[in-house]
Formats: sequence, C-alpha cells, structure tokens
Amino acid sequence: MIQALKRYKWPYLFIMPFFLLFLIFQLIPNIFTVVISLTKWNAIAKPQYVGLKNYQLLFCDQMFWDATWNTFIYWLISGIIIIVLALFIGSLLTSKQLKIKKIYSTITFLPNVCAVISMAIIFKLFFDTNEGLFNSILVSVGIPKQEWITGASLSKIPVIFLYSWRNIPWYTMIIVSGLLNISPDFYEAAHVDGANTVQQFFKITLPSLSNVLFFCFITLTSDAWKIFNESYMLKGPSTSNISLFQYMYDSGFTIFKMGYASAIGVVLTVILLVVSIVQFIIRKRQGEV
Amino acid sequence: MNSKRRLSKIFIHAALCLVSIVCLFPIVWMCIIAFKDPSESVSGFSSLLIHQFSSQNISRLMALIPFGTNFKNSILSTLGGTITTLFFCSLAGFGFAKYRFPGRNGLFYFLIATMLVPPEVGSVPLFLIMKKLGLINSLWSLIIPRMTTAVGIFYMRQYILGVPDSLVEAARIDGCNEFKIYYRIVLPIIKPAIASWTVLTVVARWNDFFWPLLFLRNQENYTLMVSLSMLPFSEGMSTPWPVIMCGTMIITLPVIIVYLTMQLFFKEGITEGAVKG
Amino acid sequence: MKKSQRLLSMLISTALILTVAACNSKKDDTDKSEQQAEQKAEDNKGAEAAPAVEVEKTLFPKGTMTIYGYGNPQYLQYYYDDFLERHRDIAPEVEIKIVQAKNAQDAREKISMTYLSGALKDLPTCTYIDPVGLKDLANGDMILDMTDFLTPLLPKMVEGATVDGMVDGKMYGLPESVRPQLLFYNKSIFDEYGIDPSQMTTIEKWIEVGRELKEKSGGKTYLSYIDPGKNAWRYYGRRGLMPQANGRIWDDEGKVVMGTDPGTKKAMETLDTLMKEDLLFKSTIFEPPLYDACRKHQVATFYIGAFWDEFLRKNVPEMAGEWRVMNAPVFEKEQQGGAPVTGYFVILNNPDDPYTELAKMLWEDFTFNTEQRTKWVKRVDSENGPYANPISLEMLDDAFWKEPSDYYGGQSFRTAEAQGLQNPSKNLPVTAQDAEADVIISAELEAYVAGNQTMEEALQNMQKNLEGKIGQSEVK
Repeated sequence: MIQALKRYKWPYLFIMPFFLLFLIFQLIPNIFTVVISLTKWNAIAKPQYVGLKNYQLLFCDQMFWDATWNTFIYWLISGIIIIVLALFIGSLLTSKQLKIKKIYSTITFLPNVCAVISMAIIFKLFFDTNEGLFNSILVSVGIPKQEWITGASLSKIPVIFLYSWRNIPWYTMIIVSGLLNISPDFYEAAHVDGANTVQQFFKITLPSLSNVLFFCFITLTSDAWKIFNESYMLKGPSTSNISLFQYMYDSGFTIFKMGYASAIGVVLTVILLVVSIVQFIIRKRQGEV
Repeated sequence: MNSKRRLSKIFIHAALCLVSIVCLFPIVWMCIIAFKDPSESVSGFSSLLIHQFSSQNISRLMALIPFGTNFKNSILSTLGGTITTLFFCSLAGFGFAKYRFPGRNGLFYFLIATMLVPPEVGSVPLFLIMKKLGLINSLWSLIIPRMTTAVGIFYMRQYILGVPDSLVEAARIDGCNEFKIYYRIVLPIIKPAIASWTVLTVVARWNDFFWPLLFLRNQENYTLMVSLSMLPFSEGMSTPWPVIMCGTMIITLPVIIVYLTMQLFFKEGITEGAVKG
Repeated sequence: MKKSQRLLSMLISTALILTVAACNSKKDDTDKSEQQAEQKAEDNKGAEAAPAVEVEKTLFPKGTMTIYGYGNPQYLQYYYDDFLERHRDIAPEVEIKIVQAKNAQDAREKISMTYLSGALKDLPTCTYIDPVGLKDLANGDMILDMTDFLTPLLPKMVEGATVDGMVDGKMYGLPESVRPQLLFYNKSIFDEYGIDPSQMTTIEKWIEVGRELKEKSGGKTYLSYIDPGKNAWRYYGRRGLMPQANGRIWDDEGKVVMGTDPGTKKAMETLDTLMKEDLLFKSTIFEPPLYDACRKHQVATFYIGAFWDEFLRKNVPEMAGEWRVMNAPVFEKEQQGGAPVTGYFVILNNPDDPYTELAKMLWEDFTFNTEQRTKWVKRVDSENGPYANPISLEMLDDAFWKEPSDYYGGQSFRTAEAQGLQNPSKNLPVTAQDAEADVIISAELEAYVAGNQTMEEALQNMQKNLEGKIGQSEVK
C-alpha cells in the first residue's frame, strides 16, 4: 500500500486536492445536513432530536409535492428544449456552407455570459401581464393578454424560457465540439450512398455524438434539479412554479425550519442520485460508458 | 443542385440571424432601459425607445451601493477563483489522463458521481465550517471550495487524453520530473482548452450569487452581484427601474468584454473545438 | 500566435501574483481588526471597572458601530453622521455603518448565523427588525431587555408603541415608527366622474364607490389593486381587513381557527366581493406596471399602510397634486380603524460590544430630539426619501408635523398620518409560528387570486394545512 503510494506519488498528488476539498467542503457538510434533518431547529434554540418526523411531515406536505412536480417539469421540458435546440444550432454553426462562423458563434454564446439575476429582471418586465412587451405583441396581433407570471397555469413557462435561453449556448458549445470531431469521411461515404441530410443526421451525427450527449444529459440533470434563481426571481402565485431547491431555501432561511429544510435537501440529493443512476444504467444497457 | 445549395445557405443564415436576435434582444433592451430617465414608462412598446435620455442613472446607482469596493471584490474573487481552478483542474486532469495507478477508474467514477451531490444542500453546515476556518467575510471563502471542480477535471482529462503519449514519454526520458512535464509539455498543448475554461469559469465566478450571499456578511465585502441583487428585492426600497437596469447592465458588461476579447484573441474562437473526444 | 500565447501566460501569472497578494493583504487586515476588537473589549472592561457614576462621561473607544437596516437605510446615515458630530465629546473617533439587509428575515438570518458561529465580534450593535424576528431573537436571548430604559419614556410616546415589541411581559423593541393603515385616493379621478371621495368612510361604501367608478369609467378604472403574490395576504389580510374585522388565525389556546372564525370569514369574504366584482387591478406591488396603471388612472385608491407615501412620491413624482389621503375605511359593524404597524430597533446582547449605550442614546436622540429630527426630515423630504411620523407626542405637536405637503395638493400628509392612528384595531397576535403560518395562508390566498380555487376552498385549505404543518401555536 505504502509502496504503491510512493511509486505513484505524482498522480496521487495531482488528483489529491480535489478529494481533499470535496471531503471538507461538500461531503462533511452534506452528512451534517442528514443529521440536522433529524432535528427540530430554528438556528437559535438548541436543536431537538425528532427522529424521522420531518420526513413524515414532508411526505404529507402538498407544497413539497408541488415543488417536486414543478422541478421534474423543469428538468424534463427544458432538458428536451435545450438538447434539441442545441443540436439544431450546433448543426447550423458547423455547416460547411457557412463562411462567417465566428460572428454567429460569438453572438449565440452571449446569453450564457449574462448573469441570471440581471436577465431575470428583464424577463420579468418582458412577461408582465399588464404592460409586458410580450403581451403587447400578442395584443397587437389579436391574441388576448395572458397571465404569464401572475397566473398559476402559465407561470412555469417564463422560468423554462429563461433557463433554456441562458443554458442552450453552453450545450451548443459542447455539441459543436463534438460535431467537429466527427470525421468528414463518414459524411462523404453517406453522400456516395445517396443519404439525404436528415438521414445523415440520424445515421451518422447522432450515434457519433452519443458520448457528448450523455455528458450533456448528466450535466443537465444535476443542474436542472437544482434550479433556483430563475424560479425565485420569476415567482408565480402560490406553489405554481416553486422549485424544490427554492422550497428548501424558503423553509430554511425565511421561516427558519432548519431541520425541515435539511430533510428537503436530503430528498433532493436522493432524487438526483436515483435519476442519474437510471441514466447510467440505460447507457450501460446500450453497451457503452 | 446549385439553387438547392443556395436555398439551404439562405435557410442557414436566416435561422442563425433569428437565433442571434433572440440571443441579443434582452441584452440590448436592458441597455436601452438603463439610459431612460427614471420617470419614464418602461412598459409595453414604449420601453423600446428612449424618449428622454439620461446618463444620471450611474451616479444614482453609485449613491446607493459602495460600487468601487464591491467591484474590486468581484474582480479579485473572479480572478483568484479562475486561476486556481484552471491550475488544479488541469493538474488533476493530467493525473487522470496520463498515468496508470491503482484505483484510477474507481476514483474517476467517484469524481463523476460527486457532480450529482448538490453542495448547496449542505449550506448551513458549510457556513459553520467556513467560520471555523476563519473564512467568513473573506474572498477566500469563494475561491477555496471551488479550486477544483469535478466538471473542470473531467473536461481537462478529456482534452489531455488527446495529447500523444510519446511526447510525455520523450520528456520523461529527457529527465523532466512529472510536474515539469505538466508545466512544460502538457500545459502549452492544452492552451485552447485553458482558454475556453477560462471564459466559462470567469462567467460562473462573476455571476455567482448564492455563495457570496451566504459567506459575505458585510456590505464592504459583498461582490457586485450581491449588492445589486439587494436593489430590486429590498423591502420598502423604491429604486427606479432604469437605475436597476443600469446596475444590471454594468454588471453584465465586464464579462461580455472579457468574453469578446478572448474570442478575438484566439483565432478559432474559444467556443469552438474546445472539447475533444 | 506564439507571441500572443506568451503574452497570455504572462498576463495570467501576473494576475495570479496580484490576486494572491491582494487577498493576503485583505486577510491581514481582518487579523488586525480582530486584534483591535480584542483590544477594545479589554479597554472596555477596564472602563467598566471604573466608578459607575463616570459612565456618562465615558469615552467610547475608536471603532465602527454597525447597524443592520433594510428598505432605504442610506437616508438614516445622514442622521447618524450628524448625531456623531454632535457627540464628538464622548465618541470622538466612532463611526456608524449601516449594513443593508434584504428584509427583516435577512437581518434575522445574518444575526442568528453569526451567533451560531460564535463570532460575537461580527455582530452588529443593533438592528431594525419586525415583531416575528424580534420574538425569535428575544427567545434566543440574543437581544437586550429594554424594560427599565423604556418604562419612564412611555408617557412621551404614542400609545401602544411598544406592544408588539414585548415578549413574556418584557420590552425588547425600541419603537422606531408606528404607521397607520390609510386610504390613498386619486382626487382627479373622483373629480372626473363626479364622485365624492369623502363618503368612503366605511368599507361597504368604499366598495360601493368602486362599483360606481367601474361603471362610470366603462371598466377602465379599478377601485384598487391586488398583488398576485405574498403581499395580498400581507396588506389586505394581516395588516388590513383581518384586524379590522376581528379576524383570527389562532384561538386563545393557540388552536387553528382560520377556517371557522366569523371575523376571518368576514374579512376574506370582503376580499372575495372585491375580486368577484372585478374591482381590483391585478398587478405586483412595487413594480413598474402598477405605477404605469396609476399614471393611466386605472387605479383610484390604495387601502394600504402609510409607507405607500414614499413609493408614490418616488415612483410617480409627476402625479404631484393628484393624490390625497384619508383614514382607512372601517367596517360598518366593527367601526375600528386599521391596525398600526410598528418597526423596531433592537440592541444585541453582546457583552463585548462597547457601543451598546451609544445605540440607546442614538435611538433616544432620533426619537425625541425635535430640532434635529425636523432638520433630517427636511433633507430626506427634499430627496424624496422615506421618513415616518415620529412617535414622540411632543414632536407630533410641533407645527412642522402639520405642514401641508405639495405632493398631496396642500393637504398635510403628516397630519393625516397622525389622524390615521386614532381608533386603531388590534394587530393580530404574533406567535413564533406566524412566519410559517403566513407562508401557508399566503399560498392558498395566491391560488385563490390566481383563480384556482374559491375563497371557501382557500379557507378550508388554510385550516387543513395550518393544522397539518403547525398544529398549534405558542400563544403566550
């Protein structure tokens, strides 16, 4: 053991910082969170051990289920939108017929550079029910005003819109680099075989991108389940668009139920792990990792 | 054939123009409102035009927050965070990509799995740990925990895998020690990857909001993002919207400038060909 | 290309050195200030050992006194700086710094987290806080009992100013302002449609006026507004109709009665009437679309706290002369006015803090020094900043507080605010569970405002969820 350490001291030294920092700043706090979730604590009085009561309460709490459902929708819908549009824009950007690539790729990455906070304020103005630009446009083409943020049924749309707007560029970038790595020979061969653009896309592009796409799915999952800023800033009525992480934050820092908030956090972590493991298993079934 | 090609070319340009407009519009709109007079309406179509130009919003903003100090804090934490992340992530990526050692695959899968554990969940205990380390109110609290990120290491490893083994071997035969190999051989080759990751990290650090809000407890220590976020949310606060927009504009411009400069600096553009494999 | 790469790496390494240096120097600074703080604490102990009679003349040590505030605390800085200038004899080298918090919860969170970490030196000397936060902090023994200090001052203050700041019979909160519920109305709209605004003395007549406005304007002008978010409950419920109709969330034993209490029912049904007849313009409060609606004469009245004054002045300054104020309408049966809202200033229980006494002096000066307060209000008023009516009876008698206000077309807003405090209804009692209760109640009310359930369903759900998640409140 010690001999191995000595022999491989360099690589171990190189990767050590990560594991050290992970231990101190992530693993220990997360374990502590599990402990706090078993208590009743308002961050002032002494914590009181209550066993699994917080979890019991949680599963009877309609707000918790609403938040979970909303987050699931955010993950699913914005996941689909982001991957599809990123593939589309990525294909356009890598198209051989495009000569002035750089200006387009520069502009299309800009949304990712902007801070969520500033953009959320702008989107809030854009989607306002009474005076928002979007409703003004709708009215001018003869569609009645819609309650985008203030109505319970549509309030998830601005959140998904903002989240997708800011994140598509990042995934486009990843996909573009994947696309550039596909050998042109494949397309040449397909062309000779008489395959059209659509066939080429499904027969060559998608399979070649499978590694990159898998990476995208995993990153999207871990990111979308933690969605917070977007729904916090574009808050709709009641629980109509609250996210799980936001519910945790509110429980912890607005009404100071630290134990309850920690329980939500633990459930969120478990959901994330389960969803990701399922993705890994599906991937393994396809015979790759 | 030729007309078909022209048609598809027009389609590509049209589609990309549309995408560009969608990308640019909110940013441009924000800048327009930032120069409106605070008394002006920002609703509906009238928000698209400046009826009464005002450059006073910046000074109004400066009166509300300690802009200079906050700006400096943002710059320092972004710079420190970016440089340390680049160094440690590329080093670890090198470790995973170019060495065989017991437990390598296991550790790498573990590293990927850590991406799924949300650090925000442990924010209260993390605060206490930070306090123990004496890092509350220090910009180090924003830099140290994220000196290494799983996704950064993953990214660097993918890129370094593409560096030919023969180069590394040759350097080793020449008597370079392992750190020198990283520094002299690997680092110069992965410069494009470093550049792209620089932009991504600068953006992430600059826009970070959750952690500074938790770890910095004092307006002098706030980053710009935290100070500005107080403007529209503070209870009883009545900051006019053009002033808020002016703030959001000011906070967005530096990263856009960094991004555009990097983009010009590298011929291919940093958002292209960044990832290999 | 190569050249540029070298340039880049040079840039990066320089930047690295710079950052490390800068961060380090920062650290040194904090170390130094820690030492200073310790030094200070020791100095202070020395001072305490000195004869007690000398306290008045004690020099406050050099340093910074920190205050947490929310809203627009920057304007208070004028007063504080001026206060220090006037007290250079006892505090020659003291500075006052206001730290901006987002709201009362944020201030409470910052304080409890700092306590939790045991770093008392990072605590502020005092903070502004709401009654719920005050209760939590007092139960945690984090703020000082001010009973002895306040008792002799009570006759000089507006009645009931300290009531919400009491926990277990002890007074913790130094009242900062007591502001009534008022009715703001746009006189030009009333003139335009020939309606007499003075008839809006009762809520029933107020609603009647709303119907008339709606009819005469062809649906364009709404009686008032409704917030689709949490502020609907806050301004129409907790601070508005509920106390006026004697509504209750908890009964005397702390059991939930939200869904069954007749007063609550009356309050909520009144809101239901306003909503059903479409008399309320739905728009988030404090946001630009609502101000635009004001400009377009779509909103005729605001049934809201006196604080709304500063928002009107700041956000729709061009409407000067159009608005007027009167007492909030009352229910015909109950006949009691709106419940006043008190803001509190609390001093933290921190034996190491050398400025505790100075904070008391500051509050006393701000509350009772008529001359200085008037001077400050004039300055803030000229900048369209926020200020509240004083709670000192003597100060309220001063002619300054009866001066006409240009914004209200010559009507004296300050007089109207003072009048609004007459015949107050009692605030809903604040228990430690009320922050959570507000979240639960608001969620159901928001769903009602969004049209997802009827008021009856909303009340049932409130009852159900309050019982399920809280059970019983600790009414003391």
